[in-house]
Amino acid sequence: MAGPSAAAYLVVSVLLFATGAFGVLIRRSPLIILLALEIMLNAGNLALLAFSRHAGNGDGQIFALTVMVVAAAEAVVGLGLIVAVSRQRVELDVDRLTSLRG
Amino acid sequence: MIPAAWIALFAPLGGVLVITLLGQRISRFHAGLVASGSTLVSFVCSLIAFLALLDESPGERTHYSTLWTWLSAGDLEFGAEILVDPLSVFMMLVVSGVGFLILSYAVGYMHGDPEERRYHAYKAFFVFSMLLLVQSGNLLLLLAGWGLVGLSSYLLINYWHIRATAVAAGKKAFVMNAIGDATFALALFLLIQRAGSLDFRVVFQEGIAEKSSAVAVLIALGLLGGAVAKSAQIPLHTWLPDAMEGPTPVSALIHAATMVTAGVYLIARTHVLFELAPAIQHLAGILGAMTILVAGLIALVQTDIKRVIAYSTMSQIGYMFVAVGLGAYGAGLFHLMTHAFFKALLFMAAGIVIHALSDEQDIRRMGGLARRLPFTYRAFLVGALALAAVPPFAGFFSKDSILGSAANAGTLGWALWGVAAFGAFLTALYTFRLLFIVFWGELSAFAREHLHAPGFGGLAMAWPVGVLTILAAVGGFLQVPWGWALVDDWLHPVAESAEEATGITFTFSVVATTALALAGIALAWRIWARTDPLPGRLRRRYPWAARTLEEKFYFDAAYDHAFYEPSARSAALALQYVEEPLLLRSLGELGRGVRSLSGRLSAVQTGSVRSYALALGAGAAVIALVFLLVS
Repeated sequence: MAGPSAAAYLVVSVLLFATGAFGVLIRRSPLIILLALEIMLNAGNLALLAFSRHAGNGDGQIFALTVMVVAAAEAVVGLGLIVAVSRQRVELDVDRLTSLRG
Repeated sequence: MIPAAWIALFAPLGGVLVITLLGQRISRFHAGLVASGSTLVSFVCSLIAFLALLDESPGERTHYSTLWTWLSAGDLEFGAEILVDPLSVFMMLVVSGVGFLILSYAVGYMHGDPEERRYHAYKAFFVFSMLLLVQSGNLLLLLAGWGLVGLSSYLLINYWHIRATAVAAGKKAFVMNAIGDATFALALFLLIQRAGSLDFRVVFQEGIAEKSSAVAVLIALGLLGGAVAKSAQIPLHTWLPDAMEGPTPVSALIHAATMVTAGVYLIARTHVLFELAPAIQHLAGILGAMTILVAGLIALVQTDIKRVIAYSTMSQIGYMFVAVGLGAYGAGLFHLMTHAFFKALLFMAAGIVIHALSDEQDIRRMGGLARRLPFTYRAFLVGALALAAVPPFAGFFSKDSILGSAANAGTLGWALWGVAAFGAFLTALYTFRLLFIVFWGELSAFAREHLHAPGFGGLAMAWPVGVLTILAAVGGFLQVPWGWALVDDWLHPVAESAEEATGITFTFSVVATTALALAGIALAWRIWARTDPLPGRLRRRYPWAARTLEEKFYFDAAYDHAFYEPSARSAALALQYVEEPLLLRSLGELGRGVRSLSGRLSAVQTGSVRSYALALGAGAAVIALVFLLVS
């Protein structure tokens, strides 16, 4: 089988995942957080595809497709929430959106 | 024939659904028409099934039909299965026919009631339940119909739910019936254990149990318990008089077409099991005879027009129990049919009187109504003559059929015959007491003030009464001694009736009971048509006897002492010593504790998304670490 080994893909995947997680933790704009989340999901997809290729069957690809569906749904809900929040003329900053504090 | 039977079963249910789903979109009057129309459909379909059966030879008149498997548990399977045979068709005709007349009458009687639609829906549901009971092809479905009959009677007895007495009466009926349902269910468990099925075809086979063995006795006893509760026989009879709290057509429906006849039907249907335990079958007859006596005596002192008729129902059902207890199924079911005619008639006529007097039910305030309500008077007179078994009205033939069978059943038969014959005397006495007090004499002051002409309901109420008057007058000719016995012959393939006495014994029985009935009427005339002082004198001389009768032989008081009071007292004790100190206080403490704890815990909920994300990530990392270490 040609191309890089599974390990190389996994390294990229880990890097992507770390980038995404870092983004989620340090950015304050909900839009960017959503983007970072997408990166994390795609890191997972990449890992799944790598394993799929390594194992030589299609199971991982099916999982990856499912993740994509979930990601699309999540983007719809997340963006909808963001639009709803901005309609309230509230600043889009996750550190200020703390009205759910117990 | 089979489709007709299914339609007959489901038509009233369809009526219920139509009324319920359309709600306010149909008028109250039309709701009544839907209810009575759906029972008319039932009746027509029952007629079709009847005619179809008539075409077949007697030996082949048994048809089972299963729509789907209703329940299955392990090896047990119960189908939604009906049985069309002479007995079930006979009951279907009585239930749907008399039911139709009563529901039509109710359209007039309930006119103007604010919750009329609910009422009509319940009534149609009642007819459906009863049809399910008599048509079901296995005992489990029969039990389902049995329970539904109890439910609909409960709903209808406390139909006037703002009246506390009505609600109490409904609960009483439900509880009393639940006792019977429980024993019935226990009998079914035994049958399942024995036969592995509740299918009539399996259960009624030979050799389910040894004759008179403990199992056979227990099964029959359980079934008898159910029958006694549903049919209001001693000792589970106390709910029936209280059930008079419902509207009058409900009483007519419970007493004539549905409910109380269910017990008689059950014994006739499961007669194979009862014949395995003759002692229990005789017990049914003995309980019936006791009920004849007790109910007849109590009816003598009741002052509520409907209660008198209610006690007479108990005693008439007692006759049916005597009949089926002695194996005379044809005679019992024949009396069931004629009783349905004249009892519905009496209730409906009483309903017209109650209506005309602005809902007054106390006979002491009535009197002299014969001239003002001539049609009702004539109808009531026919009903009373039929109930008192005066020839040639319907009750004469059916009651003498029962007494004739009793006279042929040995020593026990003769004992029961004696009680039943005395009961015939009592029946005539209390029936005509009612008639003379309500209809004869001078118009009472109360009636002069309150009597008003029937409004809209008049005609709607009159025609079913007219039909029933004719039926009560001629219905007995289905079975004439020395002539023909159509009911016996019809039911013969299902339940072979015991031989009736013939010749001199039978003649003696007929003459004696007729003479007793006439004597009862004469005595009633002497006392109540001419205001004889005799009852007053008896009352003064034997105050304990009068009290016993007025207290209804202390059954209610005894049950209160035996069951209600101990449980109420122990509940009060438990409240004082267990619930108050242990539960109520500790619950408050628990609540406060949870609240303070959760107040502290809520600090974790910062509301900051990023801290949540961090917690999530940290948690995942910890779990990953744990997995790594463990593996």
